[in-house]
This record gives sequence, C-alpha cells and structure tokens, in this order.
Amino acid sequence: MTDSNRVPTAAPSSGKAMYKAMINAPIETVWNLLVQTDEVLPFFFGAVCHTTGLKPGAPMAMQSRNGKYTSVVGEVLEFDPPHRYAHSFKFTQFEDPPCTVTYDLKESGGVTEFTMITENVPAGTKTEKSMAQGGPFITGNLKALVETGSPLLSGKMVTWLGPLMGFMTPRQCRSEYWPLSSLHEKLK
Amino acid sequence: MFNESHMDQIFHALSHETRRKILDLLRDRPGQGVGVLARSFDVSRIAIMNHLTVLEKAGLVISEKDGRSRLLYLNLVPLQMIHERWSDEYGAHWAGRLTTLKNLAEQKAAQGGEKT
Repeated sequence: MTDSNRVPTAAPSSGKAMYKAMINAPIETVWNLLVQTDEVLPFFFGAVCHTTGLKPGAPMAMQSRNGKYTSVVGEVLEFDPPHRYAHSFKFTQFEDPPCTVTYDLKESGGVTEFTMITENVPAGTKTEKSMAQGGPFITGNLKALVETGSPLLSGKMVTWLGPLMGFMTPRQCRSEYWPLSSLHEKLK
Repeated sequence: MFNESHMDQIFHALSHETRRKILDLLRDRPGQGVGVLARSFDVSRIAIMNHLTVLEKAGLVISEKDGRSRLLYLNLVPLQMIHERWSDEYGAHWAGRLTTLKNLAEQKAAQGGEKT
C-alpha cells in the first residue's frame, strides 16, 4: 500500500462506541461537573475547558492547566441542560478528521444513567485508539469524582503528571496554533 | 462506586465462554444486531438473547433500539472499574512502602546528624 499513511476517507465499521455508567447522584450534580469551564477536570485528563460559552456553534478547547497546550478542540453541536451535550472532537496531536462526542444523561430515582457516545471515529486511526482508552477513563473517573469526591487512581495520576508532561507534548499542540476564533475553519 | 452485588454480576457475566466471545465480537464490530451476532454461534438465537440479558444486567453490553431491531455495543467501563479497584490498592501499597522508606531515611539522617 503506497497510501497507508493517508487518512481513510470513510469508516468501514459503524465508527460508533458507547461508554456507560450508573452514577449514584442527581442529574444536576453530574451535569454541572461535566460542563465546568473554568476548573481542572480530573475526568478529562486534568484539562480545563476553554470556550466562549457552551452553546451550539461555540468553539471549545481542552487546554493544559497553564493554558500552554491544547489537546482537544471542537465545536458545540448540542447543549440541552441537564440531558445532552454534544460537540465535535479533534485531537490536535493527530491529523485525523474530527469525530463527534455526545454525553447523554437520564435520571431515575436519584441515579443518573450516564452515556458517552463517540461517532464517526475514523477506523484504524490513532484517534480511534485514543477514544477507546479515553471513553472508559472519562466515564469511570466522572463516576468516581461525583460519588466519592475524588477521581480514580488513573485520574489522580494524570493530574499529578500534568505539569511534567509539557516537554513531551508535540509542538503542534501549542495553544497558540489553536485559538478559539480559528476553530470553525480548522474543523471543516 | 460499584457495590459487591454489581461486582458479582460482572464476574458471573464473564464466567461463560460464549458471553466472553460475544464481547469479543462486539468489540470488533460495534453496533451489530442480535441476528447477525447469533449467526456467529452454533447455539440458538434464544440462548444468545439469554446471554445478552446477563451481559446487559452486568452493564457490559449496551443495546440501542433502531426501529424494530436492537443494536449492540460493548461497554468497557465496568472492566475499567474492576481494574482500578485493584490498581488503586496496589497504589496504596506502594504509597505505604514509600512512607516506610521516608521514615527510615529520616531516621538515618537523624542518626547521621548525631554523629557530626
């Protein structure tokens, strides 16, 4: 194959995966933690969500605590508190096209059914691999954080390691290359 | 977090070869229907549906209605929680060892300090 390094144009499988947990807390508690924008999010690898305000069409970027690096960029597709939040999702590190991440929340009897859905993930890419690792991480750590007030060991690890990771982060992840105003164009 | 009865459900669900095979197939082809899945096995469709009920109760499989059919997905979160349960305790173990090391080192330093 001469073009094995090129981005596949269409995903052969459904390109969809789901990560689900029953979280023992009211839906508002889970929602408010999920959509925090000015705090370090241990369930999102210790990143901070940087945005012009979470509403459909708004750009969002997951940045390191010091703002120097941006790991993920996207645009808000749906924002329906406290039930549904969807955004396009692109790793700044990889050349892959954006996929879609949806968080779906339902409450029954004080328990929140939390589902993270990833769609249009390009098959056979680094994005696909990272999503398969990130899905259980995000869902499991969000559950632990809501229920016990602290994340799982994996969540604590990334929060501790966060400040050390800078020198390992590729140059193209620098936030200066991913200003919010440029994202609409970049995500096309 | 996961209570013991949920843990029992997860391990019970995992304790059958066919059910583990179902998880393999759903990992490889997420979103397949019950019919397609059942065709991968020699046992009846009813038997596969019973296995799916066990897997769904344990939270290892998620099903989504799509018209008249059901699409099936693997849910890795319970497996992550099992892993974290014990890796967390290993973490605590090493944290304990480090504390001991710290105490020993500080004792040594204090003794060394007395000599000079």
